[in-house]
Amino acid sequence: MSKNEKLPIFGERELRGKDTLYHTIARFEFVDQDSALITNTVFRDKIYVADFFFTSCRTICPIMKTQMLRVYEATRDMPDVLLLSHSIDPEYDTVALLHDFAKRLGVESKRWHFVTGVKDSIFKIAQTSYFATALEDKTEPDRYIHSGAFLLIDRKGRIRGKYDGTKEEDVNRLIEEIKMLRLE
Amino acid sequence: MTDSIVNRQPSAFSIWILVPGCRRPFIGILLIPCLFSCSSGNTKYQQYFAQGQALYERNCSNCHQKNGKGLGLVYPPLAPSDFLDKNFSASLCLMKYGNRGEISVNGNTFNKPMPGVPSLTELEIAEIGTYIYNSWGRDRGVVEIHEVKLALDECGPK
Repeated sequence: MSKNEKLPIFGERELRGKDTLYHTIARFEFVDQDSALITNTVFRDKIYVADFFFTSCRTICPIMKTQMLRVYEATRDMPDVLLLSHSIDPEYDTVALLHDFAKRLGVESKRWHFVTGVKDSIFKIAQTSYFATALEDKTEPDRYIHSGAFLLIDRKGRIRGKYDGTKEEDVNRLIEEIKMLRLE
Repeated sequence: MTDSIVNRQPSAFSIWILVPGCRRPFIGILLIPCLFSCSSGNTKYQQYFAQGQALYERNCSNCHQKNGKGLGLVYPPLAPSDFLDKNFSASLCLMKYGNRGEISVNGNTFNKPMPGVPSLTELEIAEIGTYIYNSWGRDRGVVEIHEVKLALDECGPK
């Protein structure tokens, strides 16, 4: 992608008069590892990377967290870039557990929010806002089917990139595209 | 092994590369004994190591990572790990039976339960053991099946 090119805007769009309305992340209200209320307001005028995981997941989540930690390190000096990890097992992943998890990863709450909330709300926002798969399936070894996607969200709440959070090369691209998005 | 030896005997060095199963002390002595002492164990070592690496990447590397570094204080590292260095039998047992409760690695406490892989055979544990005990600065040589048997007898199902 050349320097002048812009990242695509994902999702349906609607023309209203002269304006184009883009797909944006719906309103949400979750609680993070510090018991802070986390809503869209926290991400107003910020770029953020979102994903879906759960702390007891042994399949792809550890790899995703290793990769997200790379994003965290790469954006250390970018105060306008935040990370948002949603637990899709919110009944098990309590605030206390997420707090311990974040502490053990060695990350700051103000830059990387681990959120829990009403399970259905998390599943719904995953599927309808972020276009990420998150489903409960008791036949799965880890009880859930979920994608390892990382979603890049711009300052207006629009999806600008989708990456495989288990692949190092894809995450390299994400890190580059965060830099591009900051220039917009 | 010093650089000067490598420079004087490049062939010895190249053979050393081919036979990683050969332990370091042999190198210093002479090339010939090394070849004899290692040739029988060499193929076995290479097979165990390669199989062990594949099994490690299938069963262990999600959490401990391919490079053995683990993940923060969530999943303990194997590279380096004083736990692995000090607890050979227990480490073999962990692969099959897992662990619950706290475990201390390099002075840090980890407390996530580790699921065992009960389906692992003694041979497979020996192979994974050969891989992790000859990687990341370790050079224990082949982990033998009888060593695994002994370790598993000690720990038994938890």
